[in-house]
Amino acid sequence: MANPDLRRTDRLNGWLFVMPALVLLGLFMVFPILWSLWMSFQTGRGMTLKFGGFANISRLTQDPVFLHALSNTAVFLVVQVPLMIILALIFANVLNNPNLKFRGFFRTAIFLPCVTSLVAYSVLFKSMFANDGVINAFLEGVHLISEPIPWLASPFWAKVVIIMAITWRWTGYNMIFYLAALQNIDRSIYEAARIDGVPAWARFVYLTIPLLKPVILFTTIISTIGTLQLFDEVMNITASGGVGGTPSDSTLTLSLYIYNLSFRFMPNFGYAATVSYVIVVLVGILSFVQFWVARDRK
Amino acid sequence: MTANPLALLGRTLTYLALSLAAFISIFPFYWMIVGTTNTSADIIKGKSGFGSALFTNVANFFAQVDVARVFWNSAYIAVVGTVLTLAVSSLAGYGFEILRSKTRERIFAALLLMLSVPFAALMIPLFMMMAKLGLINTHAAIILPAIASIFIIFYFRQATKAFPAELRDAAKIDGLKEWQIFLYVYLPVMRPTYAAATIIIFMANWNNYLWPLIVLQTNEQKTITLVVSSLTSAYYPDYGVVMVAAVLATLPTIIIFFALQRRFVAGLLGAVK
Amino acid sequence: MSTAMQGLRLTFGAALTTTGLLFGTTAMAVDVTVWCWDPNFNGATMKEAAERYKASHPDFNLIVVDFAKADLETKLQAQLASGTTDGLPDIVLVEDYGAQKYLQSFPGAFQPLSDKVDYSAFAPYKVELATLEGQTYSMPFDSGVTGLFYRTDYLAEAGYDEAALQDITWDQLIEIGKAVEAKTGHKLLSLDLNDAGAIRILMQSAGSWYFTPDGEVNIAGNPVFKAALEAYAKVLQSDIYKPVSGWTEYTGAFTSGEVAATFTGVWMTGTIKANPDQSGKWGVAPIPKLDGVEGATHASNLGGSSWYVLSSAPQKDVAVDFLAEVWGKDVDFYQKILVNQGALGSLTAARDGEAFKASDDFFSGQPVWQNFTTWLGEIPGVNYGLFTNEADAAVAAQLPALKDGGSVDDAIAAIDAQVRQQVQ
Repeated sequence: MANPDLRRTDRLNGWLFVMPALVLLGLFMVFPILWSLWMSFQTGRGMTLKFGGFANISRLTQDPVFLHALSNTAVFLVVQVPLMIILALIFANVLNNPNLKFRGFFRTAIFLPCVTSLVAYSVLFKSMFANDGVINAFLEGVHLISEPIPWLASPFWAKVVIIMAITWRWTGYNMIFYLAALQNIDRSIYEAARIDGVPAWARFVYLTIPLLKPVILFTTIISTIGTLQLFDEVMNITASGGVGGTPSDSTLTLSLYIYNLSFRFMPNFGYAATVSYVIVVLVGILSFVQFWVARDRK
Repeated sequence: MTANPLALLGRTLTYLALSLAAFISIFPFYWMIVGTTNTSADIIKGKSGFGSALFTNVANFFAQVDVARVFWNSAYIAVVGTVLTLAVSSLAGYGFEILRSKTRERIFAALLLMLSVPFAALMIPLFMMMAKLGLINTHAAIILPAIASIFIIFYFRQATKAFPAELRDAAKIDGLKEWQIFLYVYLPVMRPTYAAATIIIFMANWNNYLWPLIVLQTNEQKTITLVVSSLTSAYYPDYGVVMVAAVLATLPTIIIFFALQRRFVAGLLGAVK
Repeated sequence: MSTAMQGLRLTFGAALTTTGLLFGTTAMAVDVTVWCWDPNFNGATMKEAAERYKASHPDFNLIVVDFAKADLETKLQAQLASGTTDGLPDIVLVEDYGAQKYLQSFPGAFQPLSDKVDYSAFAPYKVELATLEGQTYSMPFDSGVTGLFYRTDYLAEAGYDEAALQDITWDQLIEIGKAVEAKTGHKLLSLDLNDAGAIRILMQSAGSWYFTPDGEVNIAGNPVFKAALEAYAKVLQSDIYKPVSGWTEYTGAFTSGEVAATFTGVWMTGTIKANPDQSGKWGVAPIPKLDGVEGATHASNLGGSSWYVLSSAPQKDVAVDFLAEVWGKDVDFYQKILVNQGALGSLTAARDGEAFKASDDFFSGQPVWQNFTTWLGEIPGVNYGLFTNEADAAVAAQLPALKDGGSVDDAIAAIDAQVRQQVQ
C-alpha cells in the first residue's frame, strides 16, 4: 500500500523542515552551552582556571548572596507570573468581543508598553517612582498616602516596583498571543453555547480556556523562563551607579548574580556557570510540571 | 429584559477598567514625549507639561549622535533578522508539529531546556566563536545567533496545533507536496500567527541590548539602544536629549505594530475557513 | 559671473583641495582608538589632548568611542575574558577601583608604561594603585579627591562661615546639619542608602581599606572600618539628609538647591557648575575627619580613573608616546581641561599653573583648585585590591539595618562573613 512510502516521505520532510534551525542552533547554542557546562566545573579567577569538581556546587549551598538571589527570584515568580497571565487572558477575551467599541485603541494601548526599549522605559520608571516623582505626587494628591513611599529606596517597595514594571511591560505581549489564538476559534461554538444559556463567565472558563490550552501553556512556560532569568528590569530600574538589584540586593535575581560574578566582581566564570545551571534545573522542573498539568488526557 | 441594567453596569465597568489599563499603559509614553520638549533641568524637577525646548533637544541629539547611521544599523539588523527568523523558525515549528517522530520529540524537549540557559552564561563562548569566525563588530554577528529562535519555534509549534488537519489531508489528496502545503495552504491560514511573530521578533531585534554591546566595537556599528544607554550614563546627562533618543528608539516598533495589527482583524473575518 | 558658475568654481576648488589633502595626509594617518564614558567630560579631555599632539604629529588621528560606564566595564571584561584581541582599542579608561582586578585577572593584557613615563611627577597614590610587580600600567587621569561642597548662603544663614568648616569631625557635621535645617528648612545632604561610597571615603581618609596591602580581608578587627561604619551609621540615623535613589535624584537634590551640601569627588564640579545662576553661592571645605582614629586626615578619594594601553593595540607605540607627551608632561594641557571640563589631573607640576592658582568666583572666590591639589597630595595611598565591588555589595547589604539602629558589631560580622565567602 502507499502507507510505508508516505511515512518515509514524512520522515524525510520532517528532518528537512527542521534542519536549517537545528544546524544554526547546533552552532550558536549547543557549543556555548557545552562550554558553559564545562566551565561550571572549573574554579579560579579570570582566566586562570583549574578543575574543581563539585566545589562550585558546594559553594552554592553556603553562599548567602546566592540564597538571597534565589528567594528574590522565587518571590517574583510566584507573584508576577500568575498575575500577568490572568490579566492578559482577561484583556484578550474582553478585546475579542466584536461588539466592543474602540477595540483597536485599547488593544494598541495595552500592547504599547512592550515596544519600549528597555533603557527608555527604565529611565521613565525611575523618574516616575522617585521619592518626589509623579506616582507619589498623585497618591498624595488623592490622599491615599500621607508620606511619600520610598519606592526605590525600600527593600520591600523596590520588589513591588519591579513586579509592576514587568506586568506593565509584558501583559500586552501575552495578550497578543492569546488574541491571535482566539481569532482561530470558530465563533459558532460560542453562539451555540449562548443559545444554550451558558453564561459569559462559564463560556470563558469551560470553552475558551481549554481551547487556548496550547497557547496558555506556551505563555506560562515562556513567562516562567523569563522571570527566572529576570535581569533587564532589576539591572536598569532598581539600579544605582551601574549596580543592579538595589537597594542592598533586595531585587538581586539569579541572572543578575551571574552577571555580577562575570562582569562586576572579580570574574569567576566557573561559579557563574554553576549558578546558570541552577536556573536550567529550575526551569526544567517547572516546565515538566506545567506540561504534565496541561497534558492531553485521552 | 431584566438582564439590561446588569449588562449596562457590566459594560460600563469593562470600559472603565480598559480605560484605566490604557491610561496606565500610555502614561509613560506621554511622559517621554513631554520630556522631549523640556530642558534637562525641568525634567529632573518632574515637570509634566509641555515646554519649548523640542528644537534644542533635537538639534543637540543630532549634533551628538550620528543618527542616520545608528538608525540604519538598528533597522538593518531588525529587518533582516526578522525575515530570516520567520522563515527558519516557522519551518521548524511546522516540521516539529505536523511531521512528528520520536527522535524529534526528544530533540524538541532538549531545545526547550536550552531555552532556559541565561544569556549571560553564553555571552563569552559566543563571543569567542564570533572572533574565530572573524565576525566581531559586524551585523552578521548579531543576526546569525538569533535566526533559529527556540522561542519562536516553540510559538509556531503551539500555534500550529490549531491548524486543521483536514486542510492538510485535503491538500494531500489533491497531490500537493509538503513544501507546497506549507507555502500555499499553511502560510495564508496562519497569517495572524505570522503577524504576531513578526511584531515579537522585530521588537526583540530592535531592542536587543546586551549582545550588541559586547560584540560591537565602533561608533559606525552602534545601534540605537547602545546610544540611549550611553546618553543616560554621563555624569550630567542631558535628559532632553535622552528623551529624544528614547522616542526614536521606540517609534519603529510602534509603527510595525500598527501596520500589522490589522491582520488580527482579518483573521476575525473567517480567514480560517 | 552667475551664481551657478560661482558654485561650480567653489565645488571644483573644494574637490581639488580635498584631493590634495587626501594624497597629502591619508596615506600617513595613524588612527588611535580610545574607549571611555561621558563624551563631554572624559571624551572632551582626550580630544583636547589629541589637538595638542597633532600639532607636532599631523598624521595623528584620535577616534573616541563612548559607552555607558557600566557597559564599558562589561564589554572590556567580556572581551578580555574571551582571549580575543580583535577590535580592542588602543587606549581604554578604567576606574581606579578596578585597576588591580584587570591587571591581575588578565595578565599581559595591558602595556607597562614604566619606562616611558616619569611617575615621580604624579600623585603617589595614583601610581601605587596601578602598579603590579614593579611595573606601572596606567596614565593617571582625573583624581577623585574629595571635598565638602556646600551652599555658602544656607550655611551662613545658619551661622557657619568658611573658617567654621575647616577642621571638623563627622559628629560636628551632624550638628551643623541640624542647625542648617532649623534655620533654613533645608536638609544638609542627599544620601543614596544603597551607596557604599561614603564608607570608602571614610576608610581611605584614615589610610585603610577593605583589604590589607597583601590582599587579606581587613574588616573584622579593623579599627578604621569600625570607626567609619559608626560615623556613617550616626549620619544615617540622624535626620540631616534627604534619602534618594539613583544618580539623578542624588545630584538633582543639591543642584536644585533642595539640600545644602554634598561630600564627594572633585569631578562633581562640572555638575554643580552647570547651574550658572548659583554662581557665588557655593564653597568647598575639606571633608570631616574620623574621630578617635590614628592617622585620620581630611583628605580622601572617591572614584577617579586612569588611561591604560592594551598590549594588543595596533598602534601601541603611538598611543604610549601620545600619552607620555601630552598627559605625562603638558602642564598647560592640565590648565585647559581644568577650566573647560573641571577635570583635576594628577600631575603634581600642574598645580603651579595659572588655572590651578586662580580663585573661582563660582565658589565664592575661594582658591578651590589649590585646595584640592593640597588635599590631593595628602590622600593616604591604599591598595584597592581585587574585590572592592564585592565588599561594596556586602556593605550596602547592611546599610538599611544600620539606618534602623542596628548594632555596628553585628553589621561588621555580617560584612566580614559575606566578603570572605565571595573572595574565592
